[in-house]
Amino acid sequence: MDAFGGLLTGFGVILTPENLYLCFLGSLIGTLVGVLPGVGPLAALALLLPITFTLTPVGGMVMLASIFYGAMYGGSTTSILLNIPGEAASVVTCLDGHQMAKQGRAGAALGIAAIGSFVAGTLGVIVMTFFAPAIAAVAIRFGPPENFAVMVLGVICTLYMIAGSLVKGVLMVALGFLTAAIGIDVVNGRERFTFGSIDLSAGIELLAVVIGLFGVTEVLNNVERVVKSTVVTDRIRGLWPTLADWRASWRPMLRGSGLGFFLGLVPGGGPVTASFMSYALEKRISAHPERFGNGAIEGVAGPESANNAAVAGSIIPVLSLGIPGNPVTALLLGALVIHGVQPGPLFITQRPDLFWGIVASMYVGNVFLLLLNLPLVGLWAQLLRIPYRVLFPVVLLLSVVGTYSANKNVFDLWVMLGFGLLGYVLHKLAYDLAPFVIALVLAPLLEQSLRQSLAMSPDGAMIFLQRPGTALMLTACAVLVALMFRRTKKS
Amino acid sequence: MKSVIAVALLSALLATPAVAQGADAKAELGKVKPKDFPTGPIEYTVVYPAGGGMDVTARLLAKHVEKWSGDKIVVNNRTGGAGMVGHAYLATQAKPDGYTVGVIANLMWGDAMLRAQGRWAYTDLEPIGYLNSDPLIWVGPTDGPYKGMSVKQIVQIAKDKPNTVRAATVPGSMWDYILDQVEANSGAKFLRVPFQGGGAGINALAGGNVDIAQGFFSEFRGLADAGKVAPLGVAAPERLSFLKDTPTMNEALGGNEYQWIIIRFAVVPKGTPADRKAYLGAAVQAAMKDPELVAEYLKAGVYFDPKLTDPARMEANLKAYADAEREFYQKTGRLK
Repeated sequence: MDAFGGLLTGFGVILTPENLYLCFLGSLIGTLVGVLPGVGPLAALALLLPITFTLTPVGGMVMLASIFYGAMYGGSTTSILLNIPGEAASVVTCLDGHQMAKQGRAGAALGIAAIGSFVAGTLGVIVMTFFAPAIAAVAIRFGPPENFAVMVLGVICTLYMIAGSLVKGVLMVALGFLTAAIGIDVVNGRERFTFGSIDLSAGIELLAVVIGLFGVTEVLNNVERVVKSTVVTDRIRGLWPTLADWRASWRPMLRGSGLGFFLGLVPGGGPVTASFMSYALEKRISAHPERFGNGAIEGVAGPESANNAAVAGSIIPVLSLGIPGNPVTALLLGALVIHGVQPGPLFITQRPDLFWGIVASMYVGNVFLLLLNLPLVGLWAQLLRIPYRVLFPVVLLLSVVGTYSANKNVFDLWVMLGFGLLGYVLHKLAYDLAPFVIALVLAPLLEQSLRQSLAMSPDGAMIFLQRPGTALMLTACAVLVALMFRRTKKS
Repeated sequence: MKSVIAVALLSALLATPAVAQGADAKAELGKVKPKDFPTGPIEYTVVYPAGGGMDVTARLLAKHVEKWSGDKIVVNNRTGGAGMVGHAYLATQAKPDGYTVGVIANLMWGDAMLRAQGRWAYTDLEPIGYLNSDPLIWVGPTDGPYKGMSVKQIVQIAKDKPNTVRAATVPGSMWDYILDQVEANSGAKFLRVPFQGGGAGINALAGGNVDIAQGFFSEFRGLADAGKVAPLGVAAPERLSFLKDTPTMNEALGGNEYQWIIIRFAVVPKGTPADRKAYLGAAVQAAMKDPELVAEYLKAGVYFDPKLTDPARMEANLKAYADAEREFYQKTGRLK
């Protein structure tokens, strides 16, 4: 069946009142899940999984998938408004999104985030429609050495992201790597830096760290200032992105879409890595990198597109190979299995109704989400009129609830508070928090792929030069580092 | 497709005697129900992430226990540290009041014996019902130099040319232990490539990044049906009914020690009142008699260990398996 025929089948399946309703419901739930900090798509999908038992396989999968990509729409909301990431994939949106909100441009940031999500989500599903099996066949060859090269590229982009002192930035990267090393060694299964504590043996929960560093730190930073009655009072200027915003955003959106889609395909990658890498990329190629961190709209448009494209990218290996690359897609796979469907390379030919139904629903779902999210922009922006004395306790409450609900582990709350205090101190000392968080996200993948590559190679590190794709990417990394040194020397 | 049909046939066969037992089970359950319990929802704790084999097992169980007992069951994933956090929670923090049930696997024994550092023991969790067993299966490529080879042939190559055959493993777990056994008995030496789970290793095999992998049937069924990977050996005492042509590892390599099986069962924390424990156990057993649940489990590619399906012998035989595992750890110097 060719793609057009398939798509027609898919729309035939999806355009029933029941399936459209489920798609809409999933989009709505996904948006809410994204907006609420801590309650990520994984938790929401796990909670709602039993409900889909009573639905048809198509209906159940349509709803679960729409929650997944819907969460990427909502995730930016609290990042922009409150500096608390709605979930891990929107952490990086805090950096410039919240600055925009402080300048009274919350509406523009929210609007661009929603439109970027729509553009990327739709582009992703178009690529999926025509090339899913071909892409999956290439993606599966992607092994540890290739992953390693991508992660090295990520780390180098991070170095470019550092604002201010390079030494301080490198220190933050190192601290991120060290923090990520806590827990169980990925290679020999032994405990590292756990000091005999069961809690530490599980590693440091990323969500607890980012909610602490962004949400709690933000509150601490603000309460010591003279408390004004409202956050931005009447400085909510223009609810919609201006023409200049558009001009600045459309390229980052397209770049973010491409990058995110690719990183979604990579095993272990996904929306979180995609959003960070996109931010780093935009800052790297910007003519005015100093604007980043001070409300650059590209810093919202790129990552918010990237995380949506990554969702489409990460769904391809699940549906066309039965291979999940991250925990959320693993859950989607589990849901299919519970419905008695075995995803695998034969899935598309054996269950065209299901495959094309899901693909078609993603076109519809993205439209629903845009229609749902754009009118909300005005409403959300009004939230900034809430006085500090009400807002701060709410922010702290959301931080606590969000952190706890991820693993239901009280220890995570201490981690959150600890990193909140650390973030406050580092802020005072003019350290940039972003490189720390990115290092924390990339470190486990970087370490694992490096050690896997070395383990699978009889010739040690030569494996990185023997594989053409890896050699090419690592050469690119070397060139970037050389350029960076030249620039530092000049300045 | 062949395997799917086999599973369907098998479930039909097993389902027949269970139908009659169903009605009894509900009456039986009413007899042992304590007067004051339960007054609220019961939490089924799963120590692995949502969507995995353990989670699917627990959610299907919860659905059928609800059906038979009428109690409200909430499945909760307490994850982290490859199950360590959840196991420790169940053994040391969960209230033994009957409202917490752990739906776990025998991987808990390894955590208790090797990693708990005396903070808790596997006897802190008391089994109340056996669910199913899932053996580790060796899987080989259908392409490249090792295409079409048997386990014995691949092991021979790993002996003749040590450190050339790339084997996917999950460090510090049964994936590693079986490789230890094979290497110790044959003199072979594999290049061990570490992954976070069996599924990731199977994917690497399908992508040509490793030469041999191990996993559970449900993890590679799709790829095997499409001819991308091939099952080579089952680490169970007998061949699986739906993989009749695949030898056991014992047959393939000669020996009787290649048995690495995930055994899934339900537990309550030690100290749970006897009447509540009995009721929770009876509820699990009632659900396990439901042919629908049996069919769902079989679809996922598991089997039922006859030594454990009889509730009267379940606890003693589980203990025997745990003792055998302890012996293995002592023999290999992992445990002193």
